[in-house]
Amino acid sequence: MTTVERSQYKVIGTRPVRPDGVEKVTGKALFGADVQPAGLIHGRVLRSPHAHARILRIDTSEAEKLPGVLAVVTHADFPKTVARVEQLGESTINTNEVGENVLASSKVLYRGHAVAAVAAASRMVADEALKHIRVDYEVLPPVLNVIDAMRDDAPILNELLRTRSMGGKVGDKPTNIAAYNQFKGGDVESAFAAADAVVEHEFTTSMVHQGYIEPQTSTANWNADDNITIWTSTQGAFGVRGLTAQILKHPISKVRVIPMEIGGGFGGKSPVYLDPVAALLSKKSGRPVKMTMSRAEVFEGTGPTSGTVIRVKAAVKDGRLTAVKADLRYEAGAFPGSSVGAGAMCMLGPYIVENFEIETYDVVVNKPKTAAYRAPGAQPAAFACESVIDELCTKLDLDPLEFRLKNSAKEGTRQVTGLPFGRIGCEEVVQAALSSPHYLSPIEGPNRGRGVASGFWFNGGMQSSVVVAVNVDGTVNLIEGSADIGGTRASLGMQLAETLSLPFEAIRTSVVDTDSIGHNDVTGGSRTTFASGMAVHEAGLDIQRQMCARAARLWGCPPEDVFYEEGVLHCRTDSTRELTFAELARQSARTGGPIVGKASLSARGAGPAYATHVVDVEVDPETGKVSILRYTAVQDAGTAIHPAYVEGQMQGAVVQGIGWALNEEYYFSEDGRMLNSSYLDYRMPTALDVPMIDTIIVEVPNPGHPYGVRGVGEVPIVPPLAAVANAIAAATGHRFTDLPISPRRVVETLHNLD
Amino acid sequence: MATVLVPTMLRSLCDGAARMDAPGGTLDEVLRAADRRFPGFYARVVDAGTVRPELAVAVDGEASGFSLHEPVPPDAEVAIIPAISGG
Repeated sequence: MTTVERSQYKVIGTRPVRPDGVEKVTGKALFGADVQPAGLIHGRVLRSPHAHARILRIDTSEAEKLPGVLAVVTHADFPKTVARVEQLGESTINTNEVGENVLASSKVLYRGHAVAAVAAASRMVADEALKHIRVDYEVLPPVLNVIDAMRDDAPILNELLRTRSMGGKVGDKPTNIAAYNQFKGGDVESAFAAADAVVEHEFTTSMVHQGYIEPQTSTANWNADDNITIWTSTQGAFGVRGLTAQILKHPISKVRVIPMEIGGGFGGKSPVYLDPVAALLSKKSGRPVKMTMSRAEVFEGTGPTSGTVIRVKAAVKDGRLTAVKADLRYEAGAFPGSSVGAGAMCMLGPYIVENFEIETYDVVVNKPKTAAYRAPGAQPAAFACESVIDELCTKLDLDPLEFRLKNSAKEGTRQVTGLPFGRIGCEEVVQAALSSPHYLSPIEGPNRGRGVASGFWFNGGMQSSVVVAVNVDGTVNLIEGSADIGGTRASLGMQLAETLSLPFEAIRTSVVDTDSIGHNDVTGGSRTTFASGMAVHEAGLDIQRQMCARAARLWGCPPEDVFYEEGVLHCRTDSTRELTFAELARQSARTGGPIVGKASLSARGAGPAYATHVVDVEVDPETGKVSILRYTAVQDAGTAIHPAYVEGQMQGAVVQGIGWALNEEYYFSEDGRMLNSSYLDYRMPTALDVPMIDTIIVEVPNPGHPYGVRGVGEVPIVPPLAAVANAIAAATGHRFTDLPISPRRVVETLHNLD
Repeated sequence: MATVLVPTMLRSLCDGAARMDAPGGTLDEVLRAADRRFPGFYARVVDAGTVRPELAVAVDGEASGFSLHEPVPPDAEVAIIPAISGG
């Protein structure tokens, strides 16, 4: 379904071969672990065996004596820095807490928390050396979930922590509640009293991991001249540069970060873990140091999502969603900063609701510091809200999609923050789901059910820089600095090709290091095709202007008499004068030198994204297995630059959401040890677990972007948790309020087992 | 004159008001005008010469990491919202 006049585009909307495909399928693409500078040695991290403990003493002397060991570092080797809260892309981070997370100083706050690191001639020697580091701990009781952490008598992670709220402090006693916030509008209690139906439930979701294939890896070389080079797997090379510089108190200009090909991120590769440590080991050893996490380290030492507890009460009157009251309690992990705020601001995004009251709690617990995961925070909140709405529809015998259409947010609808929506595609998405072949087909058979759910994500803008260099043969190099985690080399190259009316094949797009381009914020927030695409468009217009000026000089006419159309320069006053892009490019040396366009911007006009999903399931009541029979994902992409990539984003996110709904969870022992820190035990869906995910791309162009782009990478993971749960409710007649809805949970529930 | 949408957590500072009029040609002027009406408002939004990193300020629906020098059109809506993080 599209509201775009597609014929206006020649390149946008086509499906060219992906530019990184050949290198990847032939194994030639260089990932972080492929880096092998001369003199390379290997670093390993000693991690805490305890979920909560005071560090009384660290003795590294025996490890330092081990043959082959070249450096040992602890937090004490970091320069003292002043705590600063800084922007890291869309997120804010406290740089001191980042330093504490990459190497703990006085307290370990989760099992797997880094305590010390060794660099040695081989990985095996480094591993052996870790055994020779003696750490004396005073073991403390851990607190592993928000409910326990919020109790008055809970073990306190940080004695200095006080609850904060909107720039102010709430309370003056030590607490694990790092932040509290409220969103209120209208009068919920009156609306509940007048409602036709009210439903209320409490929901829980477990901590899950993004599940990228490639573990974190970083190689650092600290030269004698104090220039540092870091080869790393990251979604944001400039973020790595800034944080490393801040933690090491080093000038930013002396830190060069080279982003390698990345084997998945989904938000989890925005933080830093290894980079400053590898740099410090390199400084001490005088050698380049490579550090690569094991899978267990990725699970235990990097940022997964929040586990959550969410209570939602909602009311319907005359088919209208009249009131929602909710409280959201999100685990932040060891340090403050969960995505609970985004959850609160997203949960009602698809609806018009006059009366609402939402409270949020950001709570520290003895688990890894949480990190972003595709539309961070929105998925658990949507699971809770969309489940309650589904039950309301069942109770009132309303079609769940007709209900969503009737209550759909539209241009001018106020969000819970008070901000009005601009042009959004919420109604169009629900309508497309309603008219989909899937929804129009019957669902038949025992133990089968159909579920639907909607989702919203803001999408981001932020800073981008690009450079476009025209070659003498008429080809073009597009230089950009946004890590390509989802096809942005293609989507950016295509937007430049469209702007310059060139074939896509004439553009070569390269992601370069932090010394080679101006600042680019993280590839996150579904921002790169939107914001860097806007920069690409501006740089393309810059090229057009330069070419028009050169043609004017050649033809002896005023620049305003020259115009660029379909890749050809024309003279308004003399129709016999024409130069193709390639013809003028060939003459660049004689017309003023290289033709280079550029653009740097802080993008405005990000367009929110909506998705509505339909899923059919079959539940085996004996084994508890839930089979996904059919799944259709509908989404507004604004304009789908490369539809195959958009479909891929939708399909990938749906599969991740199915895993979150049915199987994935961090499973902890009572003392805070993760018991399933391998892919054998942490159950992610495979190709055998899901059918082909059908996709319907709706295109309601974003008026804030020259080509109507909205981000596409995050919103498709918002509805699946609820859609699957709603389908299971339809199949079994039982409302599951706790994720994952694993076979064990299904069997225990359906058979009333304890 | 701009209208400031007061977030729930700051309404106690503003006699419970959800919106208030505040004159000013820049974001800083608007927030200072709000502070003159309700002392303490400015400090809850601004720290060390910039919007607090945990917050974002939106002008006419656009929340884009504005500086305090951002021009505010007449009759604009200025909203203070929590900063958002994305993956």
